[in-house]
Amino acid sequence: MSDVAPVAFELFGVVHLVRPAGFAAANLEELRGGLDRATPTSLFHHAFEATLRHPAAAERPPDDFSHWVSAVVQDRETAERLSFAVQSGANCASELRGALIEVLDTVPERERIERDAPEGGEFVFLEMESVPLETGWAVGDCEALMERLAEADPSVLFYHLIEQPWLEPDLPSLVTWSRGAGEAKLAGWLIESAHDGRPLEDMRRRLLQRWKRSHLSRRLAEATLVPEQQRREAGRRVISSLVRRIQRPER
Amino acid sequence: MTLVQVNTEGPSLVDGYRALVGDGPLRALEALARRLKGHRVAMVNSTATGGGVAEILHRLVRLLEELGVPTTWEVMPGDARFYGITKTIHNTLHGWPGTLTAEDREYFMEVNRRAAEALALDGDLVLIHDPQPVALARWRRRPGQRWLWRCHIDLSRAQLEVRDFVTAPLADYDAAVFSHVSFVPPLALPAYLAPPSIDPLSDKNRELGEEEETALLAPFALPPRRPWVTQISRFDRIKDPLGVVRAFDLVRRQEDAHLILAGGSADDDPEGAEVLAEVRARVAGRTDVSILLLPPDAHMTINALQRRSTVVVQKSLREGFALTVSEALWKRRAVVASAVGGIPLQVLHERTGMLVRSVEGCAYQITRLLRAPEMRRRLGAEGREHVRQNFLHTREARDYLAVFARLLMTQARR
Repeated sequence: MSDVAPVAFELFGVVHLVRPAGFAAANLEELRGGLDRATPTSLFHHAFEATLRHPAAAERPPDDFSHWVSAVVQDRETAERLSFAVQSGANCASELRGALIEVLDTVPERERIERDAPEGGEFVFLEMESVPLETGWAVGDCEALMERLAEADPSVLFYHLIEQPWLEPDLPSLVTWSRGAGEAKLAGWLIESAHDGRPLEDMRRRLLQRWKRSHLSRRLAEATLVPEQQRREAGRRVISSLVRRIQRPER
Repeated sequence: MTLVQVNTEGPSLVDGYRALVGDGPLRALEALARRLKGHRVAMVNSTATGGGVAEILHRLVRLLEELGVPTTWEVMPGDARFYGITKTIHNTLHGWPGTLTAEDREYFMEVNRRAAEALALDGDLVLIHDPQPVALARWRRRPGQRWLWRCHIDLSRAQLEVRDFVTAPLADYDAAVFSHVSFVPPLALPAYLAPPSIDPLSDKNRELGEEEETALLAPFALPPRRPWVTQISRFDRIKDPLGVVRAFDLVRRQEDAHLILAGGSADDDPEGAEVLAEVRARVAGRTDVSILLLPPDAHMTINALQRRSTVVVQKSLREGFALTVSEALWKRRAVVASAVGGIPLQVLHERTGMLVRSVEGCAYQITRLLRAPEMRRRLGAEGREHVRQNFLHTREARDYLAVFARLLMTQARR
């Protein structure tokens, strides 16, 4: 197993620009029609972008489709089922489109027409354009990667773990890079994180925890090779930092 | 002199925003600013003072400068006749009656042509605000420049003839930006969406001390112990103040509370005066309802009213964007609002507030929130975070920079 990846991986954040796709839905039947016409980027935007808009939410915010059906059309049951379809881990636009349409097809056509939005509350399909942002960080190994992910803007996690694998699956991804760096376990966690439906900050916390835990034994082993004097100094530093944290007044 | 000198004294704006919105949004701005390295932004609008556009430009220009993007702001010169015409354009774009004659159109173009000669337009990224200077591009666009039109106006009910006149010069632009999807007319260029935003450092939104709040509200003799249910909106039928009173009547069958309807005085708006009279007649003699007529500069009073309210209502029948919702959410208030216009973008049902479709629904959600302090706290906390991420000036600045970055990735139109 190697700790060093062959090539440095450059981290990007992302900003999304949106513009009208040119069609809207005033009831569930029209929503079904819109889902049929929507481009992959439009579907992605409506299904997943809310995660980026609410990175620190207590729970993952609803996708635009189920939010509209629940809050505007006020059809809670269909909304729940649409939510489930989005969160069930569709890996590409055709899978997602199929899953959403399948939910709407369980509502009889006449009812799909009757379940509508008030005037001005139509669901407008949007098209999304990504503007990747250079962070200036190119990481050479997974240790450095995790250090950067710990402090990165949530859009960095969103771009590499959710957006890029979905919209540009053929490009080299963080997952393939981690695997190439000999960290198959980390690569697995990255895939899992992208699919487990947690808010971005929560996702980051879990990922870092797993990484730290998995490296405890390695760190311990490395620490036994360090001379006694250095280990004592390191221990003192840890204790004094702990004391400082305990003594720090609560904000 | 057409160049506006923006006040750059005092503490850094970047630091001020960073302290309020956190590091992430500022990092995104800095990254975009780096993408624009070597480019200069020139902005044009029609006034340096008064109105929301001038307010945001004072902040935006300084923010971009601090981020290292050289930015100039020019006000287009005009005369009384021109401003009379642009007033008609403004009104008719909002759907009010009015006519633009052939002479008016000709004069509008002539003033734009003269302004094109007078303005420095010292930038390769040109951001034009609103209809007044929209035709500058026809005479001043240079090869390699990118031109962007920012429309701050709700065009959803515009007189089509006037709307088409205003948007015809966009043939010389690379893209346009609108506040809400319903405002976007049919166009042959990319029309991006950038919701409007609030300024967390402004008098209307900055933190207030308890004493300051009390002093600001003292003149209105509002009951200090009852929970306040407040709607801040002009007295207009589409804001449904009578619907709010009806909902409040239902609430009062079960809960003790005080209703506050606060809005601008309706002296210059005959229909507004009529609506105000109807509301007054409806609540005459009641001690559990206050109607407050506020002057246009009562920003701090509105701030204090929102902060002291237990529930903030926006029961509009139709809406443009309704930034009052974001203002209330930023102050961690529990919000009950109609699912129309830009409101569902701000209120995520049961997450950042409650969306309603009827008088009864409105009453139900107000009652529910009056009884549930923990739910109010949770919604308030999520609401503030939602606004922090999506509806502050820093996000609007980011959107403009992102559009420019995007335009630089593509070939100029000519």
